[in-house]
Amino acid sequence: MTQEKFELEKIATDEYILSMGPQHPSTHGVLRVILRMDGEYVIDLQPDPGYIHSSIEKICERRNYDQIMPYTDRMDYLSAVNYNWVYALAVEKLLGIKVPERAEYIRVILAEINRIMSHLLWFSAFGIDMGALTPIWYAFRERENLITLIEAQTGGRLTHNALRIGGVKNDLPKGFIEGLKKFLSNFEDYIDEYEALLINNVIFTARTKGIGILKKEIAISYGMSGPTIRGSNVSIDLRKTSPYSIYDKFDFKVCVGQNGDTWDRCKVRMDEMRQSANILRQAIEGMPSGDVMAKVPRVIKPAPGEVYEKVEGPRGETGVYIVSDGTEKPYRIKFRSPSFSNLSGLREICIGYKIADLVAIMGSLDLVIPEIDR
Amino acid sequence: MNYQEILEKIKTKVEPVYAKEDLGVLNAEIKSSDIRTVLNYLKSEMSFDWLNFITAIDWIANNCIEVVYQLFSNITKDRVVIRVKLDRNKPEIETVSDIYRTAEWHERETAEMFGIKFSNHPYPNKLLTIDGMDSPLRKDFKCDDMKPLPKD
Repeated sequence: MTQEKFELEKIATDEYILSMGPQHPSTHGVLRVILRMDGEYVIDLQPDPGYIHSSIEKICERRNYDQIMPYTDRMDYLSAVNYNWVYALAVEKLLGIKVPERAEYIRVILAEINRIMSHLLWFSAFGIDMGALTPIWYAFRERENLITLIEAQTGGRLTHNALRIGGVKNDLPKGFIEGLKKFLSNFEDYIDEYEALLINNVIFTARTKGIGILKKEIAISYGMSGPTIRGSNVSIDLRKTSPYSIYDKFDFKVCVGQNGDTWDRCKVRMDEMRQSANILRQAIEGMPSGDVMAKVPRVIKPAPGEVYEKVEGPRGETGVYIVSDGTEKPYRIKFRSPSFSNLSGLREICIGYKIADLVAIMGSLDLVIPEIDR
Repeated sequence: MNYQEILEKIKTKVEPVYAKEDLGVLNAEIKSSDIRTVLNYLKSEMSFDWLNFITAIDWIANNCIEVVYQLFSNITKDRVVIRVKLDRNKPEIETVSDIYRTAEWHERETAEMFGIKFSNHPYPNKLLTIDGMDSPLRKDFKCDDMKPLPKD
C-alpha cells in the first residue's frame, strides 16, 4: 500500500441517511428522527412522530364531558395534573362555574408537586443521556417521596385523575401537609447537591455550553414554550404573564437563561424547582378551609360555543380547545401540547452539530412522546 | 385592545365575512383567499407574534370544514381567532408556514386529520397517521372496530 491511500481527502465523504429511533434510548419514547449526516455532523433532520398515536381527540368526541378526565392523564404521564387542570378550566369556563378557593389551592399544590416530579425525572434521564448514571439514584429518592404523597391524595402514582370539573375529587388526606413540609424542609439543599453533581460538572458543561443555541425569534415563531423558550431569555411563563386560577397571589420569579444553549435550558429547570418549592410553601401557608367541589350539574351540557384555555405545564403551554354544540359530548376537542411545538423546532437548533450533541439537545427539550402523538 | 378595536383594524385590510365575540375573544371569519394578508398584517403590524395552534372543525351538517387559527400577542396579551370556511368536498387553503413557522407542523397534522390541502406547503408529508388512513377526524370516518362490549 502506498502512503497516499491514507490521505484524508481520499476518504469518501458521501452524505448518508441515518434513522435514529424509533427505539433509540435517547429519544425517551417511540420517536424516530431521520438524519442526513456528513460523517459525524448533522446536515439535516426530520422528526417522524406518530408511532404511538392513540387518537385521544377522536375518542373524546364520543365521551361525556366528565368521562374525558382520565384520558387527559395519558397524554403527559409526567404531569397529569396539568392536563387535568387545563381541561377542567376549559369546561368550567364554558359552564361558568366558580371553583371553591380551597380546591384552587389543592390544584396548585398538586400541579407544583407534578412539576417538581417531572423536572426530577428529566434531570435523571438527562444525566443518563449524557452518560452520567449517578443522578438518577439521587433524583428518584426525592421523586419517590413526592409520588408517595400524591398517591395518598389521588390513588395514582403517575396517572392521578385527581381533578374534577368544579374542584378536586378529595380533600387532602391526613398527614399530607406535614409530609410536604418535611419534604420542603431540605429540598433546596438537595437541588444544590444536584447542581454540583451534574449541572456544574466540568464534563457536563463542556458538552452543553454553546451547544444547540436557540435564538429568541426562532423560538417565538415556532411557538416553543416552557423552559425551552425561557432558556433563550424570553420571559414567558403563563403563571406570571397570563395568570390563571390563583397564581397571581403567589410571589415567585420567572427563571430565564441568557444564551439559549443546552446548559441554559437545564439551569432554568433547576431554578424552576426552587420556585415551585417556594410556591408550595406559600400555598401551604395561605390554604383556607371549606369545600373542595363546586355545585356542578349532574349532566354537563354546556351551551353552544367554544373555549381555549392554557396552563403552564412543566414543558410549556398546555392548552385545550373545546367546541361545544350544546349536547353532553364535545363536538370537537383539540389538545395543544408543548412538546409538539418544541419538537417542530428541533431542526433549527441541531444542524451543524455532532450526533452526540443531538442527543444532548433533544434531552434538553424534555420531550414526552405520547403528548406529541396524542 | 378590546375586540372591537381589533376588528376595526382588520377591517382596514380585508372585510370579514362574519365577526362575533365569544367569551371575550374576537372570532373573525374571513375568505380563504385573504388568510395570508390577514395573518401577515396581524403579525407584522399588530404584534400577534404567537400562533397557539391551527386546527379544523368538520361541520358535516353544513357541508363545510372550518379552519381555526388561534393567535395571541405576548406584548399586548390580546387574543384573536381567525376562521376560514372551506368546501368540504375539496378543501384547499394556502399555507402560512412561512409567516408562523410553527404552522408547518400544525398544518401537516390538520391536513392528514381532515383531508385539507395546504398549497405551497414546504413538506406536505403525513406527520402522525399511517398511509391509507384518510382524514380520521372527519365526522363521517368509519370506526367499524369500535363496538360496545356485550352486556353479559
